[in-house]
Amino acid sequence: MNAKALFKKLQPLIALVVMVVALSLLSDKFLALANQRNILLQISVNLCLSIGMTLVILTGGIDLSVGAMLALAGAVAAGLLKNGLALKIFGVVLQFTPFGAMVAGILVGLALGLFNGIAITRFKLPPFVATLGMLSIARGLTMLWTGGFPVTDLGPKFGFIGAGFFLGVPMPIWVSAALVVVFYIVSKNTLLGRYIYAVGGSEKATAFSGINVNRVKLWVYALAGALAAVAGLIVTARLDAADPKAGLGYELDSIAAVVIGGTSLSGGRGSILGTVLGCLIIGVLNNGLFLLDVSPFWQQVVKGFVILVAVAADKLGGDRRE
Amino acid sequence: MKRFIQWLVAIVICAIICWLFPLFHVVPLKTANAEKAAEKFDATAFAQNFWAGKLLPAAEKAVSTDVLLAAIQSNAAGAKTNYSRSVGLSDTYFYFLRGRGKVVSVSDDAVCIAVTENSTNAEIALQTGLIFGDAIRDGTGLLNASDYPNSQDFNDISAALNQIVETNVLTDLRKQARVGATISFAGCAEVDDESSDLHPLKVIPIETKLE
Repeated sequence: MNAKALFKKLQPLIALVVMVVALSLLSDKFLALANQRNILLQISVNLCLSIGMTLVILTGGIDLSVGAMLALAGAVAAGLLKNGLALKIFGVVLQFTPFGAMVAGILVGLALGLFNGIAITRFKLPPFVATLGMLSIARGLTMLWTGGFPVTDLGPKFGFIGAGFFLGVPMPIWVSAALVVVFYIVSKNTLLGRYIYAVGGSEKATAFSGINVNRVKLWVYALAGALAAVAGLIVTARLDAADPKAGLGYELDSIAAVVIGGTSLSGGRGSILGTVLGCLIIGVLNNGLFLLDVSPFWQQVVKGFVILVAVAADKLGGDRRE
Repeated sequence: MKRFIQWLVAIVICAIICWLFPLFHVVPLKTANAEKAAEKFDATAFAQNFWAGKLLPAAEKAVSTDVLLAAIQSNAAGAKTNYSRSVGLSDTYFYFLRGRGKVVSVSDDAVCIAVTENSTNAEIALQTGLIFGDAIRDGTGLLNASDYPNSQDFNDISAALNQIVETNVLTDLRKQARVGATISFAGCAEVDDESSDLHPLKVIPIETKLE
Protein backbone atom coordinates (compact mmCIF):
# COMPACT_ATOMS: atom_id res chain seq x y z
CA MET A 1 0.00 0.00 0.00
CA ASN A 2 1.57 3.31 -1.08
CA ALA A 3 1.53 6.48 1.03
CA LYS A 4 -1.34 7.99 -0.92
CA ALA A 5 -3.54 4.95 -0.49
CA LEU A 6 -2.66 4.75 3.19
CA PHE A 7 -3.56 8.42 3.65
CA LYS A 8 -6.86 7.81 1.86
CA LYS A 9 -7.61 4.89 4.16
CA LEU A 10 -6.71 6.82 7.28
CA GLN A 11 -8.59 9.99 6.27
CA PRO A 12 -11.55 9.46 8.66
CA LEU A 13 -9.23 8.66 11.57
CA ILE A 14 -7.09 11.72 10.86
CA ALA A 15 -10.22 13.89 10.66
CA LEU A 16 -11.44 12.51 13.99
CA VAL A 17 -8.08 13.09 15.72
CA VAL A 18 -7.89 16.66 14.39
CA MET A 19 -11.42 17.35 15.64
CA VAL A 20 -10.74 15.87 19.07
CA VAL A 21 -7.53 17.89 19.48
CA ALA A 22 -9.19 21.11 18.31
CA LEU A 23 -12.26 20.67 20.51
CA SER A 24 -10.22 19.76 23.59
CA LEU A 25 -8.36 23.04 23.12
CA LEU A 26 -11.52 25.06 22.51
CA SER A 27 -13.66 23.60 25.32
CA ASP A 28 -12.52 22.47 28.75
CA LYS A 29 -15.60 20.25 29.07
CA PHE A 30 -14.95 18.22 25.93
CA LEU A 31 -12.49 15.74 27.42
CA ALA A 32 -14.50 15.23 30.61
CA LEU A 33 -15.32 11.55 31.13
CA ALA A 34 -19.03 12.29 31.42
CA ASN A 35 -18.94 14.09 28.06
CA GLN A 36 -17.04 11.27 26.35
CA ARG A 37 -19.60 8.78 27.67
CA ASN A 38 -22.34 11.08 26.46
CA ILE A 39 -20.88 11.11 22.94
CA LEU A 40 -20.75 7.30 22.85
CA LEU A 41 -24.29 7.11 24.17
CA GLN A 42 -25.53 9.55 21.55
CA ILE A 43 -23.88 7.76 18.64
CA SER A 44 -25.05 4.30 19.70
CA VAL A 45 -28.41 4.58 17.91
CA ASN A 46 -26.82 5.95 14.74
CA LEU A 47 -24.20 3.21 14.93
CA CYS A 48 -26.87 0.48 14.91
CA LEU A 49 -28.51 2.06 11.88
CA SER A 50 -25.21 2.74 10.15
CA ILE A 51 -23.95 -0.85 10.43
CA GLY A 52 -26.98 -1.96 8.42
CA MET A 53 -26.61 0.99 6.07
CA THR A 54 -22.95 0.07 5.49
CA LEU A 55 -23.92 -3.43 4.37
CA VAL A 56 -26.59 -1.99 2.06
CA ILE A 57 -24.28 0.63 0.56
CA LEU A 58 -21.51 -1.95 0.16
CA THR A 59 -23.85 -3.81 -2.21
CA GLY A 60 -24.34 -0.58 -4.15
CA GLY A 61 -27.80 0.10 -2.72
CA ILE A 62 -29.30 2.59 -0.32
CA ASP A 63 -31.94 2.35 2.40
CA LEU A 64 -33.97 5.48 3.06
CA SER A 65 -36.45 3.70 5.31
CA VAL A 66 -34.29 2.95 8.37
CA GLY A 67 -35.65 5.90 10.39
CA ALA A 68 -39.24 4.89 9.71
CA MET A 69 -38.52 1.21 10.43
CA LEU A 70 -36.91 2.31 13.70
CA ALA A 71 -40.12 4.11 14.68
CA LEU A 72 -42.41 1.22 13.71
CA ALA A 73 -40.34 -1.45 15.45
CA GLY A 74 -40.17 0.64 18.63
CA ALA A 75 -43.90 1.35 18.49
CA VAL A 76 -44.83 -2.30 17.91
CA ALA A 77 -42.64 -3.46 20.78
CA ALA A 78 -44.02 -0.77 23.09
CA GLY A 79 -47.61 -1.42 22.05
CA LEU A 80 -47.34 -5.18 22.56
CA LEU A 81 -45.68 -4.70 25.94
CA LYS A 82 -48.19 -2.13 27.11
CA ASN A 83 -51.44 -3.44 25.65
CA GLY A 84 -50.67 -6.98 24.59
CA LEU A 85 -52.25 -8.55 21.53
CA ALA A 86 -55.96 -9.23 21.91
CA LEU A 87 -57.21 -12.34 20.09
CA LYS A 88 -60.92 -11.68 20.50
CA ILE A 89 -61.94 -14.84 18.62
CA PHE A 90 -60.29 -16.95 21.31
CA GLY A 91 -61.22 -14.57 24.15
CA VAL A 92 -57.60 -14.17 25.22
CA VAL A 93 -54.86 -11.56 25.26
CA LEU A 94 -51.20 -12.33 24.61
CA GLN A 95 -49.46 -10.26 27.26
CA PHE A 96 -45.93 -9.81 26.01
CA THR A 97 -42.93 -9.94 28.30
CA PRO A 98 -40.23 -7.25 27.74
CA PHE A 99 -38.12 -9.91 26.01
CA GLY A 100 -41.06 -10.97 23.85
CA ALA A 101 -41.82 -7.37 22.89
CA MET A 102 -38.19 -6.84 21.87
CA VAL A 103 -38.17 -10.01 19.77
CA ALA A 104 -41.41 -8.90 18.12
CA GLY A 105 -39.92 -5.48 17.36
CA ILE A 106 -36.84 -7.03 15.77
CA LEU A 107 -39.00 -9.42 13.73
CA VAL A 108 -41.00 -6.44 12.46
CA GLY A 109 -37.75 -4.75 11.36
CA LEU A 110 -36.59 -7.99 9.73
CA ALA A 111 -39.89 -8.35 7.86
CA LEU A 112 -39.84 -4.76 6.62
CA GLY A 113 -36.25 -5.20 5.49
CA LEU A 114 -37.20 -8.39 3.66
CA PHE A 115 -40.02 -6.50 1.98
CA ASN A 116 -37.46 -3.94 0.80
CA GLY A 117 -35.25 -6.75 -0.45
CA ILE A 118 -38.08 -8.43 -2.34
CA ALA A 119 -39.13 -5.14 -3.96
CA ILE A 120 -35.54 -4.57 -5.10
CA THR A 121 -34.64 -8.09 -6.21
CA ARG A 122 -37.94 -9.56 -7.47
CA PHE A 123 -39.67 -6.45 -8.78
CA LYS A 124 -36.42 -4.79 -9.87
CA LEU A 125 -37.28 -1.47 -8.22
CA PRO A 126 -34.32 0.87 -7.72
CA PRO A 127 -33.32 0.76 -4.00
CA PHE A 128 -33.93 4.52 -3.75
CA VAL A 129 -37.56 4.13 -4.85
CA ALA A 130 -38.30 0.89 -2.99
CA THR A 131 -37.01 2.18 0.35
CA LEU A 132 -38.61 5.58 -0.17
CA GLY A 133 -41.91 3.75 -0.52
CA MET A 134 -41.15 1.74 2.62
CA LEU A 135 -40.36 4.98 4.45
CA SER A 136 -43.90 6.16 3.79
CA ILE A 137 -45.48 2.76 4.50
CA ALA A 138 -43.66 2.33 7.82
CA ARG A 139 -44.46 5.89 8.94
CA GLY A 140 -48.12 5.36 8.10
CA LEU A 141 -48.23 2.00 9.88
CA THR A 142 -46.61 3.59 12.94
CA MET A 143 -49.29 6.26 13.03
CA LEU A 144 -52.03 3.62 12.60
CA TRP A 145 -50.57 1.42 15.34
CA THR A 146 -50.15 4.24 17.85
CA GLY A 147 -53.05 6.45 16.78
CA GLY A 148 -50.50 9.24 16.51
CA PHE A 149 -49.84 9.29 20.26
CA PRO A 150 -46.72 8.16 22.10
CA VAL A 151 -46.92 4.82 23.91
CA THR A 152 -45.51 5.52 27.37
CA ASP A 153 -44.72 3.92 30.73
CA LEU A 154 -42.99 0.77 29.54
CA GLY A 155 -41.39 -0.19 32.81
CA PRO A 156 -37.82 -0.61 34.04
CA LYS A 157 -37.25 -4.09 32.58
CA PHE A 158 -37.85 -2.88 29.03
CA GLY A 159 -36.05 0.38 29.81
CA PHE A 160 -32.86 -1.46 30.80
CA ILE A 161 -31.66 -1.79 27.21
CA GLY A 162 -31.84 1.98 26.75
CA ALA A 163 -31.32 3.47 30.18
CA GLY A 164 -29.60 0.69 32.14
CA PHE A 165 -25.91 0.28 32.97
CA PHE A 166 -23.61 -2.72 32.93
CA LEU A 167 -20.20 -2.37 34.62
CA GLY A 168 -20.82 1.38 34.77
CA VAL A 169 -21.28 1.67 31.01
CA PRO A 170 -24.70 2.50 29.51
CA MET A 171 -26.39 -0.46 27.84
CA PRO A 172 -26.81 1.21 24.41
CA ILE A 173 -23.01 1.43 24.20
CA TRP A 174 -22.69 -2.30 24.99
CA VAL A 175 -25.34 -3.19 22.41
CA SER A 176 -23.83 -1.10 19.64
CA ALA A 177 -20.30 -2.31 20.47
CA ALA A 178 -21.48 -5.93 20.33
CA LEU A 179 -23.10 -5.30 16.95
CA VAL A 180 -19.90 -3.70 15.65
CA VAL A 181 -17.90 -6.80 16.65
CA VAL A 182 -20.43 -9.24 15.18
CA PHE A 183 -20.81 -7.41 11.88
CA TYR A 184 -17.09 -6.74 11.59
CA ILE A 185 -16.60 -10.50 11.76
CA VAL A 186 -19.50 -11.09 9.35
CA SER A 187 -18.11 -8.63 6.82
CA LYS A 188 -14.51 -9.84 7.01
CA ASN A 189 -14.63 -13.53 7.85
CA THR A 190 -17.81 -15.02 6.42
CA LEU A 191 -19.04 -15.97 2.99
CA LEU A 192 -21.88 -13.48 3.28
CA GLY A 193 -19.37 -10.71 3.95
CA ARG A 194 -17.31 -11.61 0.90
CA TYR A 195 -20.43 -11.86 -1.25
CA ILE A 196 -21.56 -8.40 -0.09
CA TYR A 197 -18.28 -6.84 -1.24
CA ALA A 198 -18.42 -8.86 -4.45
CA VAL A 199 -21.96 -7.74 -5.30
CA GLY A 200 -21.01 -4.10 -4.70
CA GLY A 201 -17.80 -4.46 -6.74
CA SER A 202 -19.51 -5.97 -9.78
CA GLU A 203 -22.96 -7.46 -9.67
CA LYS A 204 -22.61 -9.11 -13.08
CA ALA A 205 -19.26 -10.71 -12.33
CA THR A 206 -20.63 -11.99 -9.01
CA ALA A 207 -23.66 -13.50 -10.74
CA PHE A 208 -21.45 -15.11 -13.38
CA SER A 209 -19.36 -16.71 -10.67
CA GLY A 210 -22.44 -18.56 -9.47
CA ILE A 211 -23.34 -16.49 -6.45
CA ASN A 212 -27.03 -15.83 -5.87
CA VAL A 213 -26.93 -12.02 -5.93
CA ASN A 214 -30.60 -11.66 -5.07
CA ARG A 215 -30.26 -13.78 -1.97
CA VAL A 216 -27.30 -11.70 -0.80
CA LYS A 217 -29.30 -8.52 -1.28
CA LEU A 218 -32.32 -9.98 0.50
CA TRP A 219 -30.17 -10.82 3.50
CA VAL A 220 -28.55 -7.39 3.51
CA TYR A 221 -31.84 -5.46 3.46
CA ALA A 222 -33.35 -7.81 6.06
CA LEU A 223 -30.34 -7.27 8.34
CA ALA A 224 -30.58 -3.50 7.83
CA GLY A 225 -34.24 -3.70 8.90
CA ALA A 226 -33.41 -5.80 11.95
CA LEU A 227 -30.63 -3.40 12.96
CA ALA A 228 -32.98 -0.44 12.53
CA ALA A 229 -35.38 -2.28 14.84
CA VAL A 230 -32.62 -2.70 17.47
CA ALA A 231 -32.00 1.04 17.21
CA GLY A 232 -35.74 1.59 17.63
CA LEU A 233 -35.78 -0.53 20.78
CA ILE A 234 -32.89 1.48 22.24
CA VAL A 235 -34.59 4.81 21.47
CA THR A 236 -37.91 3.59 22.89
CA ALA A 237 -36.33 2.14 26.02
CA ARG A 238 -34.24 5.24 26.61
CA LEU A 239 -37.25 7.55 26.44
CA ASP A 240 -39.57 5.07 28.19
CA ALA A 241 -41.92 5.90 25.33
CA ALA A 242 -42.42 5.02 21.68
CA ASP A 243 -42.80 8.26 19.80
CA PRO A 244 -44.49 7.79 16.41
CA LYS A 245 -42.25 10.56 15.08
CA ALA A 246 -39.05 8.91 16.31
CA GLY A 247 -36.23 8.53 13.83
CA LEU A 248 -37.23 11.40 11.57
CA GLY A 249 -34.19 12.24 9.44
CA TYR A 250 -32.06 9.49 11.02
CA GLU A 251 -31.48 7.91 7.61
CA LEU A 252 -29.51 11.00 6.59
CA ASP A 253 -27.26 10.84 9.66
CA SER A 254 -26.75 7.18 9.00
CA ILE A 255 -25.85 7.64 5.31
CA ALA A 256 -23.58 10.53 6.32
CA ALA A 257 -21.74 8.37 8.87
CA VAL A 258 -21.23 5.60 6.33
CA VAL A 259 -19.94 7.96 3.64
CA ILE A 260 -17.73 9.93 6.02
CA GLY A 261 -16.35 6.61 7.20
CA GLY A 262 -15.02 5.95 3.71
CA THR A 263 -17.64 3.60 2.27
CA SER A 264 -18.15 4.28 -1.42
CA LEU A 265 -21.70 5.10 -2.48
CA SER A 266 -21.12 3.06 -5.62
CA GLY A 267 -20.51 -0.05 -3.48
CA GLY A 268 -17.75 -2.58 -3.05
CA ARG A 269 -15.46 -0.43 -0.89
CA GLY A 270 -15.70 0.43 2.78
CA SER A 271 -15.75 -1.18 6.19
CA ILE A 272 -17.66 -1.43 9.45
CA LEU A 273 -14.72 0.14 11.30
CA GLY A 274 -14.82 3.09 8.90
CA THR A 275 -18.50 3.51 9.72
CA VAL A 276 -17.67 3.50 13.43
CA LEU A 277 -15.25 6.35 12.72
CA GLY A 278 -17.92 8.12 10.66
CA CYS A 279 -20.39 7.88 13.54
CA LEU A 280 -17.74 9.13 15.96
CA ILE A 281 -16.97 12.07 13.66
CA ILE A 282 -20.64 13.05 13.45
CA GLY A 283 -21.07 12.53 17.22
CA VAL A 284 -17.98 14.57 18.09
CA LEU A 285 -19.02 17.25 15.60
CA ASN A 286 -22.52 17.52 17.11
CA ASN A 287 -21.15 17.52 20.64
CA GLY A 288 -18.39 20.02 19.85
CA LEU A 289 -20.71 22.46 18.11
CA PHE A 290 -23.08 22.21 21.08
CA LEU A 291 -20.29 22.82 23.60
CA LEU A 292 -19.10 25.80 21.56
CA ASP A 293 -22.64 27.18 21.72
CA VAL A 294 -23.08 27.17 17.95
CA SER A 295 -26.70 27.70 16.88
CA PRO A 296 -28.50 24.47 15.92
CA PHE A 297 -29.24 26.02 12.54
CA TRP A 298 -25.53 26.48 11.87
CA GLN A 299 -24.91 22.96 13.13
CA GLN A 300 -27.09 21.67 10.28
CA VAL A 301 -25.15 23.76 7.77
CA VAL A 302 -21.78 22.54 9.07
CA LYS A 303 -22.90 18.91 9.03
CA GLY A 304 -24.10 19.30 5.45
CA PHE A 305 -20.72 20.66 4.38
CA VAL A 306 -18.87 17.83 6.11
CA ILE A 307 -20.97 15.29 4.18
CA LEU A 308 -20.36 17.11 0.90
CA VAL A 309 -16.62 17.19 1.51
CA ALA A 310 -16.59 13.47 2.38
CA VAL A 311 -18.54 12.51 -0.74
CA ALA A 312 -16.42 14.80 -2.92
CA ALA A 313 -13.24 13.22 -1.51
CA ASP A 314 -14.63 9.76 -2.27
CA LYS A 315 -15.68 10.79 -5.77
CA LEU A 316 -12.32 12.42 -6.60
CA GLY A 317 -10.50 9.37 -5.26
CA GLY A 318 -12.75 7.12 -7.34
CA ASP A 319 -12.19 9.17 -10.50
CA ARG A 320 -8.43 9.00 -10.07
CA ARG A 321 -8.61 5.26 -9.59
CA GLU A 322 -10.65 4.92 -12.76
CA MET B 1 -29.51 -34.02 5.46
CA LYS B 2 -26.86 -31.63 6.86
CA ARG B 3 -29.16 -28.66 6.25
CA PHE B 4 -32.05 -30.47 7.94
CA ILE B 5 -29.93 -31.03 11.05
CA GLN B 6 -28.85 -27.36 11.04
CA TRP B 7 -32.48 -26.22 10.95
CA LEU B 8 -33.44 -28.72 13.62
CA VAL B 9 -30.67 -27.48 15.94
CA ALA B 10 -31.71 -23.85 15.33
CA ILE B 11 -35.36 -24.64 16.12
CA VAL B 12 -34.41 -26.54 19.30
CA ILE B 13 -32.20 -23.64 20.47
CA CYS B 14 -35.03 -21.14 19.80
CA ALA B 15 -37.49 -23.37 21.67
CA ILE B 16 -35.18 -23.61 24.69
CA ILE B 17 -34.68 -19.81 24.72
CA CYS B 18 -38.43 -19.23 24.49
CA TRP B 19 -39.01 -21.75 27.30
CA LEU B 20 -36.43 -20.04 29.52
CA PHE B 21 -37.53 -16.52 28.56
CA PRO B 22 -41.22 -16.68 27.60
CA LEU B 23 -42.26 -14.25 24.88
CA PHE B 24 -45.79 -13.77 26.21
CA HIS B 25 -48.39 -15.08 28.64
CA VAL B 26 -51.90 -16.01 27.54
CA VAL B 27 -54.47 -14.21 29.71
CA PRO B 28 -58.28 -14.33 29.41
CA LEU B 29 -59.63 -11.14 27.85
CA LYS B 30 -61.84 -10.30 30.85
CA THR B 31 -58.99 -10.63 33.33
CA ALA B 32 -56.72 -8.49 31.15
CA ASN B 33 -59.36 -5.75 30.83
CA ALA B 34 -59.99 -5.75 34.58
CA GLU B 35 -56.24 -5.50 35.30
CA LYS B 36 -55.91 -2.65 32.83
CA ALA B 37 -58.81 -0.70 34.34
CA ALA B 38 -57.31 -1.13 37.82
CA GLU B 39 -53.91 0.06 36.62
CA LYS B 40 -55.21 3.17 34.87
CA PHE B 41 -54.37 6.38 36.67
CA ASP B 42 -57.44 8.49 37.40
CA ALA B 43 -56.10 12.02 37.18
CA THR B 44 -59.49 13.64 37.91
CA ALA B 45 -60.00 11.72 41.16
CA PHE B 46 -56.39 12.34 42.15
CA ALA B 47 -56.72 16.07 41.47
CA GLN B 48 -59.95 16.32 43.48
CA ASN B 49 -58.37 14.61 46.49
CA PHE B 50 -55.25 16.71 46.15
CA TRP B 51 -57.30 19.89 45.85
CA ALA B 52 -59.33 19.31 49.00
CA GLY B 53 -56.77 17.43 51.06
CA LYS B 54 -53.53 19.23 50.33
CA LEU B 55 -53.82 22.30 48.13
CA LEU B 56 -56.44 24.33 50.00
CA PRO B 57 -54.93 23.61 53.45
CA ALA B 58 -51.49 24.60 52.08
CA ALA B 59 -52.91 27.91 50.79
CA GLU B 60 -53.16 29.12 54.39
CA LYS B 61 -49.38 28.92 54.59
CA ALA B 62 -48.72 30.61 51.21
CA VAL B 63 -46.74 33.82 51.19
CA SER B 64 -48.82 36.94 51.76
CA THR B 65 -49.13 39.46 48.92
CA ASP B 66 -48.08 42.26 51.31
CA VAL B 67 -44.74 40.54 51.88
CA LEU B 68 -44.29 39.30 48.32
CA LEU B 69 -45.15 42.53 46.47
CA ALA B 70 -42.95 44.57 48.80
CA ALA B 71 -40.11 42.13 48.19
CA ILE B 72 -40.61 42.23 44.40
CA GLN B 73 -40.74 46.03 44.50
CA SER B 74 -37.52 46.37 46.44
CA ASN B 75 -35.53 43.47 44.95
CA ALA B 76 -37.16 41.21 42.37
CA ALA B 77 -34.19 38.80 42.29
CA GLY B 78 -34.26 38.48 46.08
CA ALA B 79 -38.02 37.85 46.04
CA LYS B 80 -37.46 35.13 43.45
CA THR B 81 -34.78 33.48 45.59
CA ASN B 82 -36.83 33.63 48.80
CA TYR B 83 -40.37 32.91 47.69
CA SER B 84 -40.45 31.26 44.27
CA ARG B 85 -40.24 27.69 43.03
CA SER B 86 -39.09 26.41 39.68
CA VAL B 87 -38.97 23.01 38.03
CA GLY B 88 -35.60 21.56 37.04
CA LEU B 89 -33.41 24.01 35.18
CA SER B 90 -36.33 26.00 33.81
CA ASP B 91 -36.12 29.82 33.87
CA THR B 92 -39.85 30.00 34.49
CA TYR B 93 -40.73 30.26 38.18
CA PHE B 94 -43.85 30.25 40.34
CA TYR B 95 -45.20 32.04 43.41
CA PHE B 96 -47.78 30.46 45.69
CA LEU B 97 -49.50 33.39 47.40
CA ARG B 98 -52.57 34.61 49.24
CA GLY B 99 -53.90 38.09 49.94
CA ARG B 100 -56.75 40.51 50.27
CA GLY B 101 -57.54 43.67 48.31
CA LYS B 102 -60.02 45.81 46.44
CA VAL B 103 -61.24 45.00 42.94
CA VAL B 104 -60.21 47.88 40.67
CA SER B 105 -61.32 46.48 37.32
CA VAL B 106 -63.11 43.50 35.82
CA SER B 107 -62.66 42.24 32.28
CA ASP B 108 -63.30 38.98 30.39
CA ASP B 109 -59.78 37.78 31.11
CA ALA B 110 -58.95 39.12 34.56
CA VAL B 111 -60.18 40.56 37.82
CA CYS B 112 -57.60 43.18 38.80
CA ILE B 113 -56.97 43.92 42.45
CA ALA B 114 -55.13 46.61 44.42
CA VAL B 115 -53.72 45.07 47.59
CA THR B 116 -51.69 47.97 48.99
CA GLU B 117 -53.69 50.27 51.22
CA ASN B 118 -55.06 53.36 49.42
CA SER B 119 -53.68 52.11 46.08
CA THR B 120 -55.86 52.17 43.00
CA ASN B 121 -53.31 50.43 40.76
CA ALA B 122 -53.87 46.87 39.62
CA GLU B 123 -51.19 44.94 41.50
CA ILE B 124 -52.69 41.47 41.14
CA ALA B 125 -54.58 40.18 38.10
CA LEU B 126 -56.65 37.10 38.92
CA GLN B 127 -56.88 35.19 35.64
CA THR B 128 -60.45 34.46 34.61
CA GLY B 129 -59.91 33.61 30.94
CA LEU B 130 -58.84 30.28 29.53
CA ILE B 131 -56.68 28.50 32.11
CA PHE B 132 -53.73 26.48 30.82
CA GLY B 133 -50.18 25.70 31.89
CA ASP B 134 -48.82 24.05 35.01
CA ALA B 135 -48.88 26.87 37.56
CA ILE B 136 -51.19 25.09 40.04
CA ARG B 137 -49.40 21.75 39.75
CA ASP B 138 -45.85 23.11 39.89
CA GLY B 139 -46.34 26.34 41.83
CA THR B 140 -46.96 24.88 45.26
CA GLY B 141 -44.10 22.41 45.52
CA LEU B 142 -46.57 19.78 46.74
CA LEU B 143 -46.24 17.59 43.63
CA ASN B 144 -43.02 16.21 42.26
CA ALA B 145 -42.61 15.01 38.66
CA SER B 146 -40.21 12.24 39.70
CA ASP B 147 -43.00 10.60 41.72
CA TYR B 148 -44.78 9.90 38.43
CA PRO B 149 -42.89 7.51 36.17
CA ASN B 150 -45.40 8.20 33.41
CA SER B 151 -45.14 11.83 32.35
CA GLN B 152 -48.58 11.62 30.75
CA ASP B 153 -50.11 11.01 34.21
CA PHE B 154 -48.32 14.08 35.53
CA ASN B 155 -49.59 16.16 32.60
CA ASP B 156 -53.12 14.85 33.19
CA ILE B 157 -52.97 16.05 36.81
CA SER B 158 -52.23 19.56 35.56
CA ALA B 159 -55.15 19.48 33.16
CA ALA B 160 -57.46 18.14 35.89
CA LEU B 161 -56.38 20.85 38.35
CA ASN B 162 -56.99 23.54 35.74
CA GLN B 163 -60.43 22.06 35.17
CA ILE B 164 -61.21 22.31 38.90
CA VAL B 165 -60.13 25.97 38.86
CA GLU B 166 -62.50 26.53 35.98
CA THR B 167 -65.50 24.87 37.63
CA ASN B 168 -64.94 25.53 41.35
CA VAL B 169 -63.43 29.00 41.29
CA LEU B 170 -63.86 30.93 38.08
CA THR B 171 -67.55 30.31 37.49
CA ASP B 172 -68.51 32.16 40.70
CA LEU B 173 -65.75 34.74 40.43
CA ARG B 174 -66.83 35.81 36.95
CA LYS B 175 -70.42 36.21 38.14
CA GLN B 176 -69.75 38.00 41.41
CA ALA B 177 -66.70 40.19 40.82
CA ARG B 178 -67.51 43.93 40.79
CA VAL B 179 -65.36 47.00 41.03
CA GLY B 180 -64.98 48.25 44.60
CA ALA B 181 -65.64 44.89 46.28
CA THR B 182 -63.15 43.50 48.77
CA ILE B 183 -61.78 40.09 47.85
CA SER B 184 -59.64 37.50 49.62
CA PHE B 185 -57.81 35.08 47.40
CA ALA B 186 -55.10 32.46 47.10
CA GLY B 187 -53.45 31.19 43.97
CA CYS B 188 -50.36 30.52 41.92
CA ALA B 189 -48.51 32.92 39.66
CA GLU B 190 -46.29 31.78 36.80
CA VAL B 191 -43.53 34.20 35.86
CA ASP B 192 -42.09 33.53 32.45
CA ASP B 193 -41.29 37.08 31.38
CA GLU B 194 -40.64 39.41 34.32
CA SER B 195 -41.36 42.53 32.29
CA SER B 196 -44.94 41.48 31.60
CA ASP B 197 -45.84 38.92 34.28
CA LEU B 198 -44.91 40.82 37.46
CA HIS B 199 -46.76 44.13 37.06
CA PRO B 200 -49.51 43.23 37.69
CA LEU B 201 -48.70 39.76 39.03
CA LYS B 202 -50.85 37.31 37.05
CA VAL B 203 -52.37 34.81 39.47
CA ILE B 204 -54.46 31.72 38.76
CA PRO B 205 -56.85 31.62 41.73
CA ILE B 206 -57.55 28.44 43.67
CA GLU B 207 -59.74 30.15 46.25
CA THR B 208 -61.61 33.48 46.28
CA LYS B 209 -64.03 35.07 48.70
CA LEU B 210 -65.86 38.30 47.94
CA GLU B 211 -66.97 40.40 50.89
